[in-house]
Amino acid sequence: MLNKLYDWVDERLDITPIWRDIADHEVPEHVNPAHHFSAFVYCFGGLTFFVTVIQILSGMFLTMYYVPDVENAWNSVYYLQNEVAFGEIVRGMHHWGASLVIVMIFLHTLRVFFTGSYKKPRELNWMVGVMLFGVILGLGFTGYLLPWDMKALFATKVGIEIAASVPVIGEYIKILLAGDDTILGAQTLTRFFAIHVFFLPAALLGLMGAHFIMIRKQGISGPL
Amino acid sequence: MHRGKGMKFVGDSRVPALRKPNIPKDYSEYPGKTEAFYPNFLLKEWLIGAVFLIGFLILTVAHPSPLEAQADPTDTGYIPLPDWYFLFLYQLLKYEFASGPYNIVGAIIVPGLAFTALLLAPFLDPGPERRPIKRPLPTAFMLLALSSIVYLTWESVVNHDWEAAEAQGQIVEEVAIDKESEGYQIYANATCINCHGENLEGGVGPALVTTEKTAEEIAEIAVNGITKNDVVAMPPSWTGSEEELAVLAEFIATLGDEE
Amino acid sequence: MSNNRVSRRQFLSYTIMGVGGFMASSLVLPMVRFAVDPALQVEGDSDFIVTDQLVSELTEEPIRVSFSYEQQDAWYTSEVTNDAWVYKAGDEIIALSPVCKHLGCTVQWEGSADFPNQFFCPCHNGRYEKNGNNIPGTPPLGPLDQFVVEVRDGYLALGEVKPNFIVS
Repeated sequence: MLNKLYDWVDERLDITPIWRDIADHEVPEHVNPAHHFSAFVYCFGGLTFFVTVIQILSGMFLTMYYVPDVENAWNSVYYLQNEVAFGEIVRGMHHWGASLVIVMIFLHTLRVFFTGSYKKPRELNWMVGVMLFGVILGLGFTGYLLPWDMKALFATKVGIEIAASVPVIGEYIKILLAGDDTILGAQTLTRFFAIHVFFLPAALLGLMGAHFIMIRKQGISGPL
Repeated sequence: MHRGKGMKFVGDSRVPALRKPNIPKDYSEYPGKTEAFYPNFLLKEWLIGAVFLIGFLILTVAHPSPLEAQADPTDTGYIPLPDWYFLFLYQLLKYEFASGPYNIVGAIIVPGLAFTALLLAPFLDPGPERRPIKRPLPTAFMLLALSSIVYLTWESVVNHDWEAAEAQGQIVEEVAIDKESEGYQIYANATCINCHGENLEGGVGPALVTTEKTAEEIAEIAVNGITKNDVVAMPPSWTGSEEELAVLAEFIATLGDEE
Repeated sequence: MSNNRVSRRQFLSYTIMGVGGFMASSLVLPMVRFAVDPALQVEGDSDFIVTDQLVSELTEEPIRVSFSYEQQDAWYTSEVTNDAWVYKAGDEIIALSPVCKHLGCTVQWEGSADFPNQFFCPCHNGRYEKNGNNIPGTPPLGPLDQFVVEVRDGYLALGEVKPNFIVS
């Protein structure tokens, strides 16, 4: 039954080569931790992706309760953490996942750097990767404000001041981020929410797609 | 993938007439040291993923994510701290040549240079050599950057007053305070109220609603203040009579006890 | 490859599915439980709300009694005003919910001049008898809901809304 359905779709769309390419590509032994234990350093990229998936999932679920509004943001976070079943765990996943994704992407960057894997022909993929690092740091920074608690507010104040110290355009960056030239409040929160939930994830998905397509195209760099 | 000349298509569409069989080659008979991504390699990846996930879930269950009190822009006593992965930047801005008139150095130039160098690494280090030991300069720069990040983060952690950070921004339960009581009158007329707030919710000083201290301890602190590591956390404050002190201490000690 | 032997490839595939299932479920189950929580909240016994309607002033004629209460909606508390149609049938006090059983509009006692002694819903011309029973041939599918009623110090107190229990 399922086979028939698959054949029906495949006859029309020729989907077999698409997933065959992914499933059947050969993985060299030097990245396989079953051959050399030291190859576990090659897992950090995959784990970064795994935590990113956790972040996207838990984030989607958190927005079921969260409101990006100065009056209610903190109350809704307090409610979802203390009143809703498993709220502590879902928010915990998102909170600790944010830290772990940075640890993992950092380790992944170091692995790529020290194995010299960014060299020709993989320069473009390295640059996309560094941009991904930037996007993830941006997600961490904007997400920090959203619970609207004390440390969120004051840490963001400092962060925005740092952005404001850019010469010439600093003041504009600040207004763009905070939504107001003096107040860090209602408009800042909705802006950060929009950036955290729509803009940066869109960039993240696009860059990740490019990253993976390039890996499939170029393969994994050879052993040292 | 089979592509290019000689490919037959169905009608004028791009769907090839010759279909790839759905049965893959059997890699168990494959002689080389490489292996198929699916299922051989993926299984290993997934086992690592599963172990990682268990650890991750244990972490989330063991450590509930922190939530401080609702943001209050008027609380000027709060010392902000960024998330741990920005701590090195935060620490950098404390140094003389990275702050004040040189703020731009610490806030923009140093991180900007580091990020640009990282982004352009393939072009700054274009040689064919891949082993770290054979390209000493890039390796040295990376190690330098790494050690300074570790050092700055560590410096920032040891220099931060974690106890004060713990106390500030706590979610203070609202405790009904009898403002008519004798204890509150004494509290309000003494200097206590200036630092500890109208509702004893804290301000410059910590909240007094749930001190978990005995009346004697509170009286002691009121008279002598608190000095920690030669820093006066609270100056000696009490100048009134012994009787009033006893009432005040009793008042503060019993707050939050009642249920 | 014979049909009844599990090949290495199949075995690996099954293991992948098993491990994958474990990962997916341990990730998604807490989140799903988190999402469906409102459906599983145990509803507490609702309190009676005392209105400012004196029971002694009630007659056989249904009147609209408004009452307001504090509604706790997760982190949001608000003051909500609701209505009930209240009348006396003999000694018994009947309080009907004004929410039409068709699509939730608000019904009026004698809301249409053509149908005296009936509750009338202006949205789709739904009609109910005085005891809340829906009149066949009009849109509503069931009788109007009913409040549990109590008398407190001579004032009317309204409790939970239940399916109509006077229409047999």
